[in-house]
Amino acid sequence: MERQIGRWLVPATLVALVVLACGGEKKQPATAALTPESTGTLTVLDWAGYEDTSMFIGFHHKYPKVTVSVAFGESDADIFGKMKAGADACTFHIYTGWQPFYVRDSLVQELDTTRLSHWAEVPARFKALGQVGGKQYFVPWDWGYTSILYRTDKVPGGIDSWTALFDPKFKGHISMWDDGPGAVTVATYVKGWDETKLSEQQLAEIEKMWTDQRKLNRFYWTGEPELVQGMAAGEIWVAYAWQGAYNTLLGQGVPVAYAQPKGGRNSWVGLYGIAPACKDKDLAYAFLDEKLSSEQGVGLISAFAYGHVNPAAYKSVTDTNIVKALALNDPTVLDRTRFTPIVSEADRDHFGQLWARVKAAQ
Amino acid sequence: MRDRAWPLPAYYFALLALLYLPLVILLVFAFNSGTILVFPLKGLTLRWFGQLFATEALMRSLRNSLLVAAGSSLVATVLATCGAIAFVRFRFKGKGLFITVALLPLYVPFVVLGVALLLLFSTLGIPRSLLTIGAAHSVVALPYAMLIVTARLVGFDPHLEEAAMSLGANYWHTLRRVILPLIAPAIVAAWLTAFTVSFDEFAIANLLVGREPTLPVYLYSQLRMTARLPLVVAMAAVVMVGTLSIFLTLIWLRRVVVRTPASAAGATSALTARA
Amino acid sequence: MPAIEQRGRLWAVLLPPALWLSVLLVAPLLLLCAFSFRLGIGGSLFGGWIATLDNYRTLAANPSFLELLGLSAGIACVVALVATLLAYPVAYYLVFRVRARAGVYVALLLIPFWISYLLRVMAWKVILGSGGAVNAFLLWLGVIQEPISVFFYSRYAVVITLIYVWTPFVALPIMATLYRIDRSLLEAAAGLGATPGQRFWRVTVPLSLPGVLAGAVMVFIPTVGEYVTPLLVGGSTGAMYGNLIQDFFGRSANWPLGAALAVVMLVGTLVLVGATSRISRVERFFQ
Repeated sequence: MERQIGRWLVPATLVALVVLACGGEKKQPATAALTPESTGTLTVLDWAGYEDTSMFIGFHHKYPKVTVSVAFGESDADIFGKMKAGADACTFHIYTGWQPFYVRDSLVQELDTTRLSHWAEVPARFKALGQVGGKQYFVPWDWGYTSILYRTDKVPGGIDSWTALFDPKFKGHISMWDDGPGAVTVATYVKGWDETKLSEQQLAEIEKMWTDQRKLNRFYWTGEPELVQGMAAGEIWVAYAWQGAYNTLLGQGVPVAYAQPKGGRNSWVGLYGIAPACKDKDLAYAFLDEKLSSEQGVGLISAFAYGHVNPAAYKSVTDTNIVKALALNDPTVLDRTRFTPIVSEADRDHFGQLWARVKAAQ
Repeated sequence: MRDRAWPLPAYYFALLALLYLPLVILLVFAFNSGTILVFPLKGLTLRWFGQLFATEALMRSLRNSLLVAAGSSLVATVLATCGAIAFVRFRFKGKGLFITVALLPLYVPFVVLGVALLLLFSTLGIPRSLLTIGAAHSVVALPYAMLIVTARLVGFDPHLEEAAMSLGANYWHTLRRVILPLIAPAIVAAWLTAFTVSFDEFAIANLLVGREPTLPVYLYSQLRMTARLPLVVAMAAVVMVGTLSIFLTLIWLRRVVVRTPASAAGATSALTARA
Repeated sequence: MPAIEQRGRLWAVLLPPALWLSVLLVAPLLLLCAFSFRLGIGGSLFGGWIATLDNYRTLAANPSFLELLGLSAGIACVVALVATLLAYPVAYYLVFRVRARAGVYVALLLIPFWISYLLRVMAWKVILGSGGAVNAFLLWLGVIQEPISVFFYSRYAVVITLIYVWTPFVALPIMATLYRIDRSLLEAAAGLGATPGQRFWRVTVPLSLPGVLAGAVMVFIPTVGEYVTPLLVGGSTGAMYGNLIQDFFGRSANWPLGAALAVVMLVGTLVLVGATSRISRVERFFQ
């Protein structure tokens, strides 16, 4: 019996392998002119939550046979590292503060904006963020805030300051984003320092702040869905969060509020770039073009309450409470919030090591 | 003469109960209509099982895991058999070095191997993909497979080969018709071991994953998403029932997996390589 | 037979595994060592960099990293020891009591490991987490006013989870060792008037120790570099050395520093294995 098994083992496995492999995607070259019958695969490197079809709904309706294959990154540094190592991604999603590094390392190609039919609808303030050295490299897409998200039933007094993340009252119920540069930014808001000009002593103080905070922190979240789960379950009461988590929890009926802290909310703008090695540039351009449309804007705002760069989207959003609460129809609000400054690579490395020390501390 | 009443059977069954407790919990929650893994249950439903097969990403990751496990176990088994034959039947300089390198993955922590391979693939410009995961798994499984096959091979009289060849068969013929069938049970055990090592492996897969996730990588990403959790739990329930059936079938067949204590220890201590 | 024919056959079987291992095991590890001597990942990823000891200097300047390695080794030690202690009775039971039907019992032990490890850990969260069964029960009893969270998201949770996972596995090498004990020795001891207790402690245990040690080492090595369990249940305080490495290759993108950290752990592990290999050889099981 063993002999029979042994004899058929290798051929059976080979057959199984072939069948399984052929059941997968067949890559076909995208035709020059895209039609609704076009097939192919578009590879995207994005953040958790953006893989859903609703995040590229226009593209999906126009070219339903094209597969969008999304790989995930957990932070800008992670995405940068993956692109540097040759990730198989045609287009990737970064946030403000990182644009010059991609250009410096030839990880992004210059854009031909004539291929984006919705480009004219994008306000100049957003276009400018995607430019490096006067050339357009990135397509801006989403914008929003970082602030403190909290459960109103567990924190009836409300929160009005970034110090809430360090408050012993909430011991065991705080969750911070697992990101060194983000942690440094928050600390500078609390202390009122300039992030680009931190002295050794200031950095040491920041490290101590976060090392002490570790005892109050339940876990460091790495993806918004993880934070949502923790807050919905009542484990987390106070968290560093983007408003996407806020909107998702509201939708689930969890009593939460999004703070307006004294130090001001942090804000950011998300951008997509096309990798020079991308073989399906037509698909990439079509993908990004549809992302700029006002329909997509409505989808993004409704799902995550993130701002969209296309002003035409704001009028069509049905939940006006969200729009008002987050001033999503007024991008000039970004002038009054605090962007994360572009930090040098050396500084970023230091922040990363600081965070590693915080997490490694005994 | 009996020992002092050491409650050994009770101990074994208590451990077994502890081992199966989370599985029972998972099974219960597969029928829960709520989406968060907390007591009390919200209600009973079967709809997650229905949605299960419709969830493309989940099925896809299962397919990916099967693909990677099948491929890497095949490679590992073939190479391990070659290596075992070389080790047992031949004398050559550098035998010690060869066996040290072949067993090295046993002594290298997974995270170190994972980042080292990440560096290799990045240097060579090979993007992360199922292939990179499969290659890593074949390396991880190789020592176990080789130890299992070697254990069986040393038990055979080398004169068998000489006898066959003196009767006129050339070496390859001898290999195919005499040696391989005799060590076939060990090869199957090695193959199963390598398959198991790969299927649930997460630590290295997480580092080397490209756009197509394996099942553990997919599960990990979904563990953090509320809405998808019940589907994942339903999948776990299905996998549990499925593997239980396979194991019971194997035990009934009796010949394939557990032959001797040595190969049992070998085959299954390889499972210590779980992620 | 002619020597050349012999050589030809040797190369035919030796070359495939040797080549595979060289490319996919030896080369990556060497590359890792080399990479630990450069700085940052800016500029070209693999060309034009200058060798420097800076990463190791950073390591030396950050004592908490090496302390974390020590802590991880400590955790691995505890896990290996406790798992071995807990598994020994199971192995003994299966070898000396169940004997012939051990196959089924072993299979029962192993079935859970075909199911995703990740999910089994999440299921424990259901039992031990703040919304879970244990807390619900204690709250209902009135013993506590608020759910205890130390069971989950802590270093203790990491240790307990690891012990829970490894105990059934390490039973197997112990079983192999116990099988190999010559029963005639035990009979001789009985014949000389030794009690069962004495037979166990004076004969069985000492004879099984080398193999038990090898089993413990087999638990220790993967556990030192463990990063998955801390991710799942460690929370903020349960991170281990493996998490540091994974972070520097992932979200904190400092590959050379991560490589240096990995090299340090690798060297430490290999030295340890070398030191204990005199006493116990893993390969012994399989003969």
